[in-house]
Amino acid sequence: MILISLAMFTVGIIGVLAKRNALILFLSIELTLNAANLLFVSFANQWGNSIGLVWVFFVLVVAAAEAAVGLAIIINLFRSKQVVDVDQYNVLRG
Amino acid sequence: MEFALGLGLFVPLLGFLILLATSQFIGRLAAGLIACTAVFVSFVTFASLLMEYSQPADYVLFQWIPVDKINADFVLHLDPLSLLMTLIITGVGFLIHVYSIGYMEHDEDYARFFACMNFFIFSMLLLVLAGHLLLLFVGWEGVGLASYLLIGFWYHRPAAARAATKAFVVNRIGDFGFLVGLLLTFTIFGTGNIVEISTQSAQKFAVDAPLLGLLCLLYFVGAVGKSAQLPLHTWLPDAMEGPTPVSALIHAATMVTAGVYLVVRLHPMFLLAPTTLHFVGDIGGATALFAAMCAIGQNDVKRVLAYSTVSQLGLMFLACGIGAFYAAMFHLTTHAFVKALLFLSAGNVVHMMHGTTDMQKMGGLQKKFTKTHWLFLVGVLAMSGIPPLSAFFSKELILEQEYLAGYETLFIVALVTSILTAYYLMRAYCLTFTGAPRLEDKILRAVKEAPGVMLIPVSLLALLSIFGGFLGCPFCMTDILEPFLAKADVLLPHEDHSVSALYSPESLLAMLGAFLGVGVSAYVYTQYADRLWDACLIFRKSFYIDEIYWRTIVLPLRSLSQFIANVTEPTIFDGAIHAVVRGTGKTAVKLQRMQSGQIRSYVAWMAVGTVILIVYFIAR
Repeated sequence: MILISLAMFTVGIIGVLAKRNALILFLSIELTLNAANLLFVSFANQWGNSIGLVWVFFVLVVAAAEAAVGLAIIINLFRSKQVVDVDQYNVLRG
Repeated sequence: MEFALGLGLFVPLLGFLILLATSQFIGRLAAGLIACTAVFVSFVTFASLLMEYSQPADYVLFQWIPVDKINADFVLHLDPLSLLMTLIITGVGFLIHVYSIGYMEHDEDYARFFACMNFFIFSMLLLVLAGHLLLLFVGWEGVGLASYLLIGFWYHRPAAARAATKAFVVNRIGDFGFLVGLLLTFTIFGTGNIVEISTQSAQKFAVDAPLLGLLCLLYFVGAVGKSAQLPLHTWLPDAMEGPTPVSALIHAATMVTAGVYLVVRLHPMFLLAPTTLHFVGDIGGATALFAAMCAIGQNDVKRVLAYSTVSQLGLMFLACGIGAFYAAMFHLTTHAFVKALLFLSAGNVVHMMHGTTDMQKMGGLQKKFTKTHWLFLVGVLAMSGIPPLSAFFSKELILEQEYLAGYETLFIVALVTSILTAYYLMRAYCLTFTGAPRLEDKILRAVKEAPGVMLIPVSLLALLSIFGGFLGCPFCMTDILEPFLAKADVLLPHEDHSVSALYSPESLLAMLGAFLGVGVSAYVYTQYADRLWDACLIFRKSFYIDEIYWRTIVLPLRSLSQFIANVTEPTIFDGAIHAVVRGTGKTAVKLQRMQSGQIRSYVAWMAVGTVILIVYFIAR
């Protein structure tokens, strides 16, 4: 289980780093979050301690909120330039 | 007692505060009235304190700085010495205040003038009443500040502003000595209370102990600055740029007498340090002679009087130098009356001639100033030491003490000084009032005698100058001053003066000298006045002391400052700051490249950072 979780996390990180599509990026972030959730659950199971399970609920709530906000951002980005390629958005360049 | 003391001390301060707060809209008459009333109330209070006075005592008004080793309470010391000083300050000060109402009638800043005058009186009262050296120092500095404000009263005139600054800076040199002495006192005695110091110094030190000598010397440096002795005398003649009542106040009642007062107040200490005391006498003698010679050459009537003050203060220090503190205080008292009289009657002339002080433009004013010229003459004769006018007694006492103490050089110095005094004062009188008028007819016709508000205070001072000598005249029945001051332990070292009455050889010599000086001067300057303007150039230039100071002290200091301003500051200080600014800018430009605006690069940096942190925590 731990290995699966680590694999999911790695895939998520690589997705964030390598992909340019905002939606895919978003998806990858969700993937890393859920990898963490998986780790919490597996450790809770292993040590017979339910605190890890509580943390999972926290993460779920945060992820839900983040999804709502993130999707709204992506929609607005799309409206401004008609693309969802994050490399096109560099107005904050120093 | 405490209440009366506090009242007398703080009423002038109250007057100052009221005038300060209302200076923008108060009427002229009201301003003058408030100021005069304040000083008058103070005078009456101290006069009534004189009636009730029984013995020297400290009166603590409140706790001030309760720090270990300093322990300064707001303590006032009342004894005959401080009482005498307060009476001189408020009495003469009051007359000068009244006089100012007339003198300043055309001035716009009426209220500011009177506010400063009241502050001056308050500071001086604090100085003489203080029972603690730190409190005395507050008054000391207050007097310095007030003199600065008043000398520079006409601040729009560059000369006045310069003179004020000069007075302040030169005083600062003396104050430095005072301050170091103060700190040394706290270290040695662990207190600043004057009475305690006076009693302790006899127990702690042997006669002529070097440390005590140094301490006295430091206080004397302060006195030299404040009382305009050599070599710090240069500020006083320049201080003539202020209005004439201010000059009178500085010279007669306040400020310059502070130095003499300090030495007399600390006389138990000075008596234990004979070497320093001799030095005091030598400086006094040198100054007396030097200033008297300078006074001969001056063509400005106020500068003559200024140098005369320096010279008379020198005589007082000379008296202190042989331990004749009573003689010094007596001369201080008579000098206060006579010098105020001289300044104010000269002020009448100056005021009515719209600020002219140059004697080359006067002459023959006898007919115009029918009353003033008599008053001035009384002042001249009194200061010259013509019996039985006041300064004769005090000056004669100094000479006699000098003679009895066996200091022949100083005796001769004092004698020559008093002859010169008679000479230059008579010269000032002749050049101003006698001979042919040197003024254009048109201006001369407009000149009138001064108004009553100015004449009355001057007349009162003239009466004091005539009869003031009997306060302490050693050979008549009305000798009040000496037993009075003796209660404060201010004594004469040689008590046998009662026997050596009027006809002792040295007093005869002094009298002859005074008549000689007056006579020669009167003859020379009524006959040859116009030919002598440029005689004694070295006297007129005051031995070029100002020029010497200018070249040796002011100019090098100025070039040093310019070097610092033009070289050190731009290269070292500004350079360092600019280097820091440039370095920050360059680093910022380099770091700016990280801010690419690309989200994925941010994420990558974040990932790298996380990895580094994880590695760090694991490796630790």
